[in-house]
Amino acid sequence: MGAVIQHPLNGIMNPKAASKKRKAVTRDVEEEAGVFSGDELSKGNLDGALSDNSKDLSDSEDDDSDSEVELVDDFSDSEDGEDELDSDEIPSDTEEIKPAAGEPNFRIVKDANGNDRYLWDEIHPDDNSELSEVDENANTIGDIPLKFYDEYPHIGYDINGKKIMRPAKGEALDALLDSIEIPKGWTGLTDPKTGKPLQLSQEELELLRKVQMNEVPSEGYDPYEPLVEWFTSEQEIMPLSAAPEPKRRFVPSKHEQKRVMKLVKAIREGRILPYKAPEEREDKEEELINYDLWADEVERPDHVMHIPAPKLPPPGYEESYHPPAEYLPDSKERKEWEQTDPEDREKDYLPNDFGSLRRVPGYDNFVQEKFERCLDLYLAPRVRRSKLNIDPESLLPKLPSPEELKPFPTACATVFRGHKGRVRAVNVDPTGVWLATGGDDGTVRVWELLTGRQLWSVKLSDDEAVNTVRWRPGKDAVILAATAGDDIFLSVPPIVDPEIEKASLDLLDAGWGFAASRPAPSASEEGKKSAPPTWIRPSSALVDAGVCVVIPLRYVPKTISWHRRGDYFVTVCSGASTPASVAISIHTVSKHLTQFPFRRRLKGGGPPQTAHFHPSKPILFVANQRSIRAYDLSRQLLVKILQPGARWISSFDIHPTSSSASGGDNIIIGSYDRRLLWHDLDLSQRPYKTLRYHRKAIRAVKFHPSGRYPLFADASDDGSLQIFHGSVTGDMLSNATIVPLKVLKGHKITGELGVLDIDWHPREAWAVSAGADGTCRLWM
Amino acid sequence: MSEDLVTSAAAESALRQVRVQLISQQEDIALPESTGPILVPTGLRRYALSTLVNNLLSSEKPIPFEFLINGTFLRTSIDEYLVDNGISAETTLEIEYVRALIPPLHIASFQHDDWVSATDVLSTTSPAASWASGATFTKGQERILSGSYDGLLRIWNMSSETIATSPAAADGGHTASIRAAKFVSPNQIASAGLDRTVRLWKYTEGEGGFTGKISPQLELYGHKAGIESLAVHAKSNRLLTGSADNTVGFWSTKKADAPAAPENLLPSSNARNTKRRKLNTSVTTPQRGPLTLMSAHTAPVSAAIFDGKDATVGYSASWDHSLRTWDLVTGSLVDTRTTSYSLLSLEHLPELSLLAAGTAARHITLIDPRASATTVAAMTLRGHTNAVVSLARDPHSTYGLISGSHDGTCRIWDIRSTKTDKEGVVGESVYSITRKSLEEEGKSDSKRVGGEGVKVFSVCWDKTVGIVSAGEDKRIQINRGEGVLSSKA
Repeated sequence: MGAVIQHPLNGIMNPKAASKKRKAVTRDVEEEAGVFSGDELSKGNLDGALSDNSKDLSDSEDDDSDSEVELVDDFSDSEDGEDELDSDEIPSDTEEIKPAAGEPNFRIVKDANGNDRYLWDEIHPDDNSELSEVDENANTIGDIPLKFYDEYPHIGYDINGKKIMRPAKGEALDALLDSIEIPKGWTGLTDPKTGKPLQLSQEELELLRKVQMNEVPSEGYDPYEPLVEWFTSEQEIMPLSAAPEPKRRFVPSKHEQKRVMKLVKAIREGRILPYKAPEEREDKEEELINYDLWADEVERPDHVMHIPAPKLPPPGYEESYHPPAEYLPDSKERKEWEQTDPEDREKDYLPNDFGSLRRVPGYDNFVQEKFERCLDLYLAPRVRRSKLNIDPESLLPKLPSPEELKPFPTACATVFRGHKGRVRAVNVDPTGVWLATGGDDGTVRVWELLTGRQLWSVKLSDDEAVNTVRWRPGKDAVILAATAGDDIFLSVPPIVDPEIEKASLDLLDAGWGFAASRPAPSASEEGKKSAPPTWIRPSSALVDAGVCVVIPLRYVPKTISWHRRGDYFVTVCSGASTPASVAISIHTVSKHLTQFPFRRRLKGGGPPQTAHFHPSKPILFVANQRSIRAYDLSRQLLVKILQPGARWISSFDIHPTSSSASGGDNIIIGSYDRRLLWHDLDLSQRPYKTLRYHRKAIRAVKFHPSGRYPLFADASDDGSLQIFHGSVTGDMLSNATIVPLKVLKGHKITGELGVLDIDWHPREAWAVSAGADGTCRLWM
Repeated sequence: MSEDLVTSAAAESALRQVRVQLISQQEDIALPESTGPILVPTGLRRYALSTLVNNLLSSEKPIPFEFLINGTFLRTSIDEYLVDNGISAETTLEIEYVRALIPPLHIASFQHDDWVSATDVLSTTSPAASWASGATFTKGQERILSGSYDGLLRIWNMSSETIATSPAAADGGHTASIRAAKFVSPNQIASAGLDRTVRLWKYTEGEGGFTGKISPQLELYGHKAGIESLAVHAKSNRLLTGSADNTVGFWSTKKADAPAAPENLLPSSNARNTKRRKLNTSVTTPQRGPLTLMSAHTAPVSAAIFDGKDATVGYSASWDHSLRTWDLVTGSLVDTRTTSYSLLSLEHLPELSLLAAGTAARHITLIDPRASATTVAAMTLRGHTNAVVSLARDPHSTYGLISGSHDGTCRIWDIRSTKTDKEGVVGESVYSITRKSLEEEGKSDSKRVGGEGVKVFSVCWDKTVGIVSAGEDKRIQINRGEGVLSSKA
């Protein structure tokens, strides 16, 4: 309440209402009225100085309303009426009074009597007007452009009709001099009215300064005058008025009641409509149906697998409506952007400078973008992938590259042609010069290994195939063992020098005496199927060809395997009809003796398939269809059973350095179900590695016989050989390293059969294969 | 801007010139002495340089030249050569030019009954003629010797007529395939084969040179397995053989010098053989044994040769990967160089002190046999696709070499023609000669797997006759290059 607040409405009060008020003034109002000087009302702006704290001082008003009904009508006419009543307050016209006091408009002179005489200023009708002072020399041309007078020596006329001459323009020097000694109030401007340099008075300059300094221009205004608290919360001990509290303060206001009744009446009559909330109206207007998709959405529990939709990236400088200049594309970039296919563009928009927000047009891609965003959100599944942060390369075993493992066979060097029909067996002699082959045409042939020249050929059988051909190990004699049909042939090819030929012949012939010294088998034994066969001399034609001994078995032997000393060899008749007791036979060359070590069938796994002697220990490995058994020949014990897991073993081979300095026994097994299995006998009964690289059955597997090259190879019905690196270390802790090196292709598949046998050169990394297409091939 | 640089650089290189001094070792094509260094643009290549030299020589018929800078053939422009070798263009470049080899053309093929395993040439320029004691050989009577798998030696004249054939086994001939045959002199032939014997034959020609006779002179026993190679040094009457029984045999061709043959190796010693074959040879040939059998190899010896300069030094190459140097006087092993491949053939390049050895690993390796050499292999010549089983020297050039391989090609090498690949500097073959028999079958383009049917077993390069190669196609094939024949002085 303390502050005096000007209400704009107060200024609307008309003088008539004010005069009406005057009629109804009460006593204390009269007192107040006396304060006013007479000319206050003449100034329109006085009313603005009134405060509108009407409530406290409205008792006189109430009285008026009580007595005069007309006044009430006035109220109803204008809403301002209430404010009118407020007008009779104590005016805060201190400023108005001050000028009257500080500016005496009279002079005191001594009259004739010597008394003071107040000589009042002459009152001009327009005292405030500056123009009222008639300037004799004022230009009277009015508000016309002065350039009309440019051609004349005068610039207008004074009030007396005389020409006002153009003031002589000083010389340039004068102008300079004038400008140097700048008089007070010099502006450098020319008063257009007078044509003289415009001089400003001290007051004008002060006024200008104030305007420039944002001060109140009127003089004497003190913006920091102390606040006069007219109405304070302080309760004076002695009130200003001793009048008792008027009654109206305690009775309900009839005026208010009337006003309320009026409003009630108006509402009842419907002249005033009750306020209604704008929302309701909107709802009625908009007939659109808005579906709240998320109305029944339940907040998902916090879960690791729940991924909230990714947020759009916040806009950057480029997307600004007024981006920095460096973001704006130049014409070349713009052209390039326009020429690229929309799908190939790096960004969907070009930065654009619109200068101001109001110039930004509607975004034409808006719908498209939102649509794509929605597509992204619901079409792209958000799945948290458990991504393994493992380099796939590191999972691969560290294998040496094949280049480092040279030499190994890579290309066919020689093709051996001559056999009619399949070549079933191939074997390189211990010196590495000759190659022996046997085939379906019943012949055994010996070839020069490098050139492929056939040196010797013998037809062992007219109608039965040569199933296997094996040279006797050792260089002291050259003996070739071959099986054709039921018979085993031991021959000395006439390709060697007389000395070795003689040694070989002696070796074979030595047994005749032993056989003769043996007691002849009794008649009963002879009838038995399991009776050991006697070795016989071949026919003279075969003798001439070089064959020395024939061992007639009654069943078809499929494999021959020599003992390393060259005195024994084991043959296996793998036919299903072969009795178990005669399926495996061990032959002693020096005694011309054949023995059948097994009486009964091997348990589980069908008939025996193949057998090999251990390269250094007196152990015989016998494979039937599903397992390999190792028998200690000296102790006559079953040492080990291997379960490779193959369904039908075709062949196996024992690592040449097995059980010697470098570690334990290693065996590779080939099976008709396309598997090549590496067994480490010390490791497990199960294979250490299973290699399944062939599309068809594996027919033969072979280690390189010399310890020099850690190679092994297999031959398959798919017509290919595969060469592997398989190094065995002496360290018991490290496993064998197996690296596939090369697939050798060349043999044609003939009648579902590809490569039937394989052998290695005894020293070099050369392999020889026998194919069903009637050729043998040397790979080097 | 970069384009400008490039063009300006190109223009600059086109304008750049280098001072070259052209020299030649051959007098017939040498430039006059007065020819000083000449300025040539650095952009020139072999062909342009060749044209330039021909202009300078003002030769009527242009001769193709090859250009050697610092011992290697120019295969790029001079500019590139300078950049590659970091040579300033302001120095005077010394360029040697030699005649370019011209692709050898097929001259003739002599058809045999069986695979031809060995061949040799008798001509005025062949070593056998130079060793002849008397001037028994006349020009224009070039003879070609072939040894075949059927055990027969044949002498051909240049018009593909057989002049003489060696006797069959029953008449004192080879009882098995011949693997090596050489002229010792114009009227003596040595041959060896799988019957483990070295046989010396006397060759006589009738009047007019249309008939001839090969009669056995001496049988040398000692090897226990097939003989793979034979080398002859007629001046000292010595033979050197390599055999599959891992030994190197050193023999004398003189009946008087040679020791007696070992009894146990004579065919009569074997009871079975005599019984079976009923050898009643009508002619009895003297039988002798080896001077020395040098055994150190652990695998068949594939080649044994005399040193090109010193006949008391022999070299042998073996399947056991080693190359051994022998002192033939004492029969002792001097040096062993071990490679990582089976060696199948050997040739000595005496001027370069290098031994070229053909390997089963399809390349030729050059080995310095001198004790001072630190590296085993000086260079490798790559290009063959099968075992290299025969090598012969280029009679025209000390750097030239020809190889016969089981892949059915003969390749001519110049060891100065090199390229650099990932294994270092390797040689490139200059030309490759394929078998005519393949072309005649119309399958010249088809590649035989393993050289099947066209394997080359022996190759011989004579200055007069040309390149003679024998092979599995039962032919002797003669090739000759026109430019090759104009010999180096």
